[in-house]
Amino acid sequence: MTIQGLLEKYPRVLRLIDILLPLLATLAALAIGAVMLILLKANPVTAYAALLEGAFGSQNALADTLVKATPLLLVGLGICIAFRGGVINIGGEGQLVVGAVSGTFVGLSFPDASGWLIIPAALAAGFLAGAVWGGIPGLLKAYFNVNEILSTIMMNQIAVQGMNFLLRGPLIDPVQLEAASRIPQTARLSPAFDLPRLIPTRLHLGTGLAVVAAVLVFIFLWRTTIGYRIRAVGLNPHASRYAGIHVRRYMVLSLLLSGAFAGLAGAIQVYGVNHRMFTDGSATGFTGGAGFNGIVAALFGQLHPVGTIPASFLFGALLVGANKLQRAIQVPSALITALNGLVVVFVVSSEIWRRRLARLRLVETKEEPLPATETEVEVVS
Amino acid sequence: MNDSEIVRILASMILQATPLMIAVTGETITERSGIVNLSLDGSMLMAAMTGFVVGLKTDSVWLGFLAAAAVGALFALIVAFGSIRLRQSQVAIGFVLTLLGDDLSAFLGQNYTRIPGPVIKRMGIPVLEEIPFVGPIFFDQDITVYLTYLLVALTWFFLFKTQAGLKVRAVGERPEAAFARGVNVDYVRYLYAIIGGALVGISGAVYSFNVKLGWSEGHTRGFGWIALAIVIFGGWSPIRGALGAILFGATKALATYLQRAFPQVSVVAFNAIPWVLMIAVLLMVSSNITERLVIYMPRRIQRPVRRLLRVGPPMALGISFGDD
Repeated sequence: MTIQGLLEKYPRVLRLIDILLPLLATLAALAIGAVMLILLKANPVTAYAALLEGAFGSQNALADTLVKATPLLLVGLGICIAFRGGVINIGGEGQLVVGAVSGTFVGLSFPDASGWLIIPAALAAGFLAGAVWGGIPGLLKAYFNVNEILSTIMMNQIAVQGMNFLLRGPLIDPVQLEAASRIPQTARLSPAFDLPRLIPTRLHLGTGLAVVAAVLVFIFLWRTTIGYRIRAVGLNPHASRYAGIHVRRYMVLSLLLSGAFAGLAGAIQVYGVNHRMFTDGSATGFTGGAGFNGIVAALFGQLHPVGTIPASFLFGALLVGANKLQRAIQVPSALITALNGLVVVFVVSSEIWRRRLARLRLVETKEEPLPATETEVEVVS
Repeated sequence: MNDSEIVRILASMILQATPLMIAVTGETITERSGIVNLSLDGSMLMAAMTGFVVGLKTDSVWLGFLAAAAVGALFALIVAFGSIRLRQSQVAIGFVLTLLGDDLSAFLGQNYTRIPGPVIKRMGIPVLEEIPFVGPIFFDQDITVYLTYLLVALTWFFLFKTQAGLKVRAVGERPEAAFARGVNVDYVRYLYAIIGGALVGISGAVYSFNVKLGWSEGHTRGFGWIALAIVIFGGWSPIRGALGAILFGATKALATYLQRAFPQVSVVAFNAIPWVLMIAVLLMVSSNITERLVIYMPRRIQRPVRRLLRVGPPMALGISFGDD
């Protein structure tokens, strides 16, 4: 029987496969990880038990997982907007960094103000800084035809250099200057600005904000005119132009919003988790790779804001659990990054298979297809 | 600053630009056939690691280069297979491979970080190195540098002066037309993706053996993206691409020099220069700004200038070909 025939006969089963496929992909990656563990002479069963224990085993573990998932979700939301709008944003790392630095700057400038004032202002500053950092590649793409994949990558590097400059110079912790150790980090923000903890764990309000943001992004993309236009431009820029949509403007908007959510993630990370900004010279030192992993989370969630919620939760669990695994059975930390890399590859390739199935099904159900990932706008001057 | 110092800086600039030239040439070939291999940053890292480890174990840089080429070819093959057979976005596959290459190279190479390994010795070309000024800059380097000059020239000749090269370009521009003339589009794309990927792999190993000796985590991180940008700057021509790589090397050398000359200005400003410049360059070549400037030039030089500046990606770049 052909796939087409199967689809006609059991549409529900295949819908289930849709949802299960990413999970199967994760399992496949973990299976390869097990082989690597055996090669390193570690018992994979105890290892994965430690992983599960570390991610879900206790109230604290669960809280850590949620905290780790928060920036992934926020970056992922931005990715949903960008990819739905037909533009690609690989600049999450840089946008996180500028958001975090701007947010920190607000808190450091007004150390005696009320938290009620500073926290919203700092989050807004992060959001705006991210918007600027995403908006520049957006403008370059829409009006000057500059490849946004490359420009967002370059913007990452510029953000990192800027961060290193600020944290080693103007924003450095005065204590570090006195002690002459010069560790590049800012002073701790006033405890009055800490995001409220939800339960007596590390879980903070930012996680709740991210979930609310996911619902808002869903409403924005599917229930508002602007969101509709963003998706229309992503699906077919030429048709959109003939329909009277200002294609370039909406391209800029998608990248700008995409950057804004990453910037917000950076600010929330500072106010909820670290309470200061620090650097090890690279972006990942602060972000933990959330700018890239958020892309994967969004793909995992099938570029749907609500689907990104469980996807980033799963990814957060993997990251937290893998760390605990490493500590529990003393495997090299590079194994963890390799494991993450494998999960990413398997999840994205499962997404590729899912889209193939979806295309076959399209004939039957007229389901809305995912946008083309490469768009090109004719330059009409 | 005296003459010998200038010569030294310029010579190191050429050396720094060499792996970029190789990677740019490889990616240019691949993109000319219509495939974007976005995995450059990851595959260079993997190749640099593999090449170094193989070179260390076998004590032969050439086996190291061979292994690195194989790794680069494998990455390119995955991108080509994903695009041609599975009909998926080359950008998505390439990006994921970038992340994988970065992580995997860190994992597999962890026992080989910061240890001395085989090195390619400098070897002047007898007569040419005697030429004042030019000699020590271009011809007192190691053999990979000379082979790179040759590679760039041969690739240009191949792409623009041979029938096989015409086929490659036809497949990248108008696959339907090439198909109608009897060209096996998929075969050509597989072949030149793999050749280009192998060159990218070799460029990674050049870092390990000549330019930035040894291996450490994230050894070549960032250079893959720069190479991708230079391909655009080079207008998909190997010679212009090579010039772009040298230009990039020059800005880096200049940044290092200025940094020493103006110690009161932050290092960061100079570190950011190449990246800002890259964006500016992409802006110049991608938009029609240059076209607007050309209009104001004397009419006689308008045409040659336009030919010099004209760039456009191969028309079928990143688009899969075949019955849908």
